[in-house]
Amino acid sequence: MFTPRTTARTVGILLLAAFVLYGVGNSLATTSSGIPSTVGLVMMLLNSAAVIAIGVLMLPILRPHAPAIAIGYLATRIFEGTFLAVGTIALHLHPKPHRLDSPTAPRPKHLERTARMSLLLRAQVATAAHDVVPAWPLDSFIAVNPLAGAESRPFGSSAGVSHTRPIADYLADLERGRITLDDLTTALERRVPALSRSLTIDGRPTTASHIAALDLTMRADAAAPAPRPADELDPDPVDDYLSAWLSAYLSPDPLWAMPHRDRGFYGAWRALAPGDRSLPRRVRRRIRELPAEPDLALADALAALGVSGSSTTEVLRTHLRSLPGWVGHIKWRAEKVGDVDLTSYLAVRLTLIAELGRGTSPSEATRPKPSALEETLARAERVAREIVGGDPDPDVVALIARVLAEHPPTEHPLTWQLTYEESYRRPLLAGLQVAEPPEDRPRVQLVMCIDPRSEGMRRQLERDDDVETFGFAGFFGVPIRFSRYAARGAVDALPALLAPRHHVSERPVDEAGADRSVSAGRRWDALASATRVADEATATPFALAETAGWFYRARSALRTLAPGLDGRLARLLSPGRRAPATEVTVADSFTPEERVSLAETAVRMMGLDRFAPLIVLAGHGSLSTNNLYESALDCGACGGNPGAANARAAASIFNDPLVRSSLRERGIDIPDDTHFVAAEHNTVTDELRMLDPHLIPATHAARVQEFLSQQRDAGDRLTVERASLLPGSHSRTTPAQVRRRAHDWAEVYPELGLLGNAAMIIGPREISRGCDLERRVFLHSYRADMDPDGTALETIMTAPLIVAQWINHQYYFSALNPATLGAGTKTVHNAIGTIGVLSGHGGDLRRGLPWQSVGLGSDLLHEPLRLSVIVQAPIDRIGRIISGNQVLRNLLDNEWISLTARSTSASPWLRYTAYGWDSLDHTPHTEGQQQ
Amino acid sequence: MKNLTRMTRLEVIVPARDAPAIRELISSAGATGYTSVSGVSGIGHHGPHSGALLFNEYDTLTMLITVLPEDRAEALIDAVRELLSMSSGVMFVADTYVSRPEYFQ
Repeated sequence: MFTPRTTARTVGILLLAAFVLYGVGNSLATTSSGIPSTVGLVMMLLNSAAVIAIGVLMLPILRPHAPAIAIGYLATRIFEGTFLAVGTIALHLHPKPHRLDSPTAPRPKHLERTARMSLLLRAQVATAAHDVVPAWPLDSFIAVNPLAGAESRPFGSSAGVSHTRPIADYLADLERGRITLDDLTTALERRVPALSRSLTIDGRPTTASHIAALDLTMRADAAAPAPRPADELDPDPVDDYLSAWLSAYLSPDPLWAMPHRDRGFYGAWRALAPGDRSLPRRVRRRIRELPAEPDLALADALAALGVSGSSTTEVLRTHLRSLPGWVGHIKWRAEKVGDVDLTSYLAVRLTLIAELGRGTSPSEATRPKPSALEETLARAERVAREIVGGDPDPDVVALIARVLAEHPPTEHPLTWQLTYEESYRRPLLAGLQVAEPPEDRPRVQLVMCIDPRSEGMRRQLERDDDVETFGFAGFFGVPIRFSRYAARGAVDALPALLAPRHHVSERPVDEAGADRSVSAGRRWDALASATRVADEATATPFALAETAGWFYRARSALRTLAPGLDGRLARLLSPGRRAPATEVTVADSFTPEERVSLAETAVRMMGLDRFAPLIVLAGHGSLSTNNLYESALDCGACGGNPGAANARAAASIFNDPLVRSSLRERGIDIPDDTHFVAAEHNTVTDELRMLDPHLIPATHAARVQEFLSQQRDAGDRLTVERASLLPGSHSRTTPAQVRRRAHDWAEVYPELGLLGNAAMIIGPREISRGCDLERRVFLHSYRADMDPDGTALETIMTAPLIVAQWINHQYYFSALNPATLGAGTKTVHNAIGTIGVLSGHGGDLRRGLPWQSVGLGSDLLHEPLRLSVIVQAPIDRIGRIISGNQVLRNLLDNEWISLTARSTSASPWLRYTAYGWDSLDHTPHTEGQQQ
Repeated sequence: MKNLTRMTRLEVIVPARDAPAIRELISSAGATGYTSVSGVSGIGHHGPHSGALLFNEYDTLTMLITVLPEDRAEALIDAVRELLSMSSGVMFVADTYVSRPEYFQ
């Protein structure tokens, strides 16, 4: 017989053992660790035995005090142990999912006829989904134009979307001087060239644009409500139902996988929905009789709804507009993963709607509108009164009405928006220098991503004349799929415009040390994984709380009260700190010719015509805690990942003697004393970390240290500069306080990301060096004389410019449509695996950026301005590139972005229009220069 | 054309972003394969297209070529025509002859 003390010790040991057995056992049973999964299953079953044993051992201790509780405790433990054992056995018996519908798998004969019959329907689904923009998952967030499908049509023509702010906001800007009447008349004459004509009204000379501007400023209906970060649209019950099923199917619980998942979304739903009591019995019975193929089910549902022929595509399009977040993600997933497609989704949706007896084509109510003539006359009379100062003559009203008819109210919002953009672009252009290229060899050259956040760091570092900086796409022209040494999985560190073709990994410098480091990392991972599993599984959280709750309580207190200290401790203890010294395996993934070509392309694209002894290639990443949108703050050119791997790969290529020798033959002579080093800029803390320090030669160590010291000062200045805009900061905020945000798990504004982005400058740095561009401008270095055939400029205009445009429109539409094209406030987000978020517990998968990326409270922080592209390069070269690329023609001719260019720094600025180049009417103003 | 079997050849040129939908239709139509040429250049209804771009495969044109028996081609032609009704692109259909018809059945 045990003594109470022995029993207590045994129970304690069993509690700890149960925790370890289940956590480790589960990891072994559900992952490919190399150890047979049966070992994990046995461990999980031993956990059940331990759980029951605890109940048995506690019985004699508890019974003398409370017999009923003692029996209840034993029963609970027996139930828990049995429940876990049954689950464990079920896990073992459940077959591994596999794909049946692989496009390369031979199709059974009996399905061939079905496939032929459904071909047209599949084409109709694809047609209906043509404008749907694929939505990347949250762990590799890619900024996209949510209206990319409409880029072949004029900006502003998409229904149901706010393309501009409320007119009241522009009027408020006019009142406070943010925009001027000059900007307004300029915008009017650009949008309606006929308005530049002169007129005489009541004996007074004026211009048609002045009249139209008066009309704009006197709009009686201008007091529209401002945009609000509304979170919840009224959800439709069918939408909620589908959202729940899609969540369960696409983000399966790691322990309890959805049965029949291998049949695809429609097949799994068809098999399981008859048991779903939330559906009426009649509907469940009908689902049992549905055809096995989603195409046929969709065809049946359409027939039941009376939809056929040419109306089919439109009806399908209407249904794809519901749950646009899920629909966008399904489109992405169909292409990249293949376990779901829109035909399956529509088959479920329309079957449900047909069986529930709901309508198919929600009609939009149309409001009666006053006649255009009456409205124009009323506006004309208002303007005429303002001009003549009393009752106007009918002829004057008629003359003004003719002018106003050329600029109807439907055009007013876009005119205001152009005015708003003109008021930003005019001083920006005026601030750009007429400068000669520098001649002296600089001490250090720093190449950073075109990301607007780099502009601040570059400007601060350039306070030292011996530092020269360049802007280049953050993947440094090296598109790779990257995996760390001995790590599982890989990330696609390249623009979303490219498919990964080169897999780069790491090779340790010291094999033995690396093995020790990896073993330590794996032990750490096993502990973290066991804790996570114990925390998430059905019954083990009790045991976890009993055994490790005290530790987590202390950790939570530390994280809350001293996030900076907690971050430092986590860094000290994390295995990443002991990561082995490695080299990236660039030479294994790229042929010598490819490496030379990549290097030459990079040099010519950024106009690197001379080489400092030390050249730093700095990628960027963002560190924050408890932030589902962390990857939205990482590098867009690296596919929503940090840019460190690409910087390391590029440095390795540039330091390769073989590459340098081949570059010399191509006229690019990198001196022998030049060394490239890779670094990473943390955009939350503005710290720069040298990567691969073991590869820095002794000859350059002192220079690197000197540069890092300079950078620390520049980082401090930049952090203080950024603090002036960060919510919750003030003029006395210290850099340390700003940096603490990286570790603060309650911080919803770790940084402001690319907030404010408004322009892109493609040209030599000397034209913008010294200008404070307020971290709002994408800066891509370019020197026309380094690019004789224009290939480099074409690459810049068809890749970095497109990525910048995607980002710009993502911010633009998230700001103007926070409820539909933005993700709403972070504070109520619930993660669906790594796919995305819901607001609260239901509704659609949210798209776009959270409100905390564009606004504060009910006010916008982001100024929604379409990207103003500014290029210094020969005009005919720019024109040729635009003519040859439909994507640029669409964006420019349809006014999604604007383009202003000059051939050299001494040439006048020209504005691109769909009809050719036009000179800027306004001479550069000096007031409001961005100096 | 002795010892050759007549089949139907489809050539479809579309923006690269629309190519996955065409590929899916080709597979669904029972074609046993296709050839894909990315970055094709030329001049068409929407103006010139410069061809392959160094860092952008998304905004170029792709040409997809497939060959299949006549009895399966008609459904695919109808489906591709439906798809092209909403997007830019062209489809060319021609008779062709193959030496090993079993490859295309």
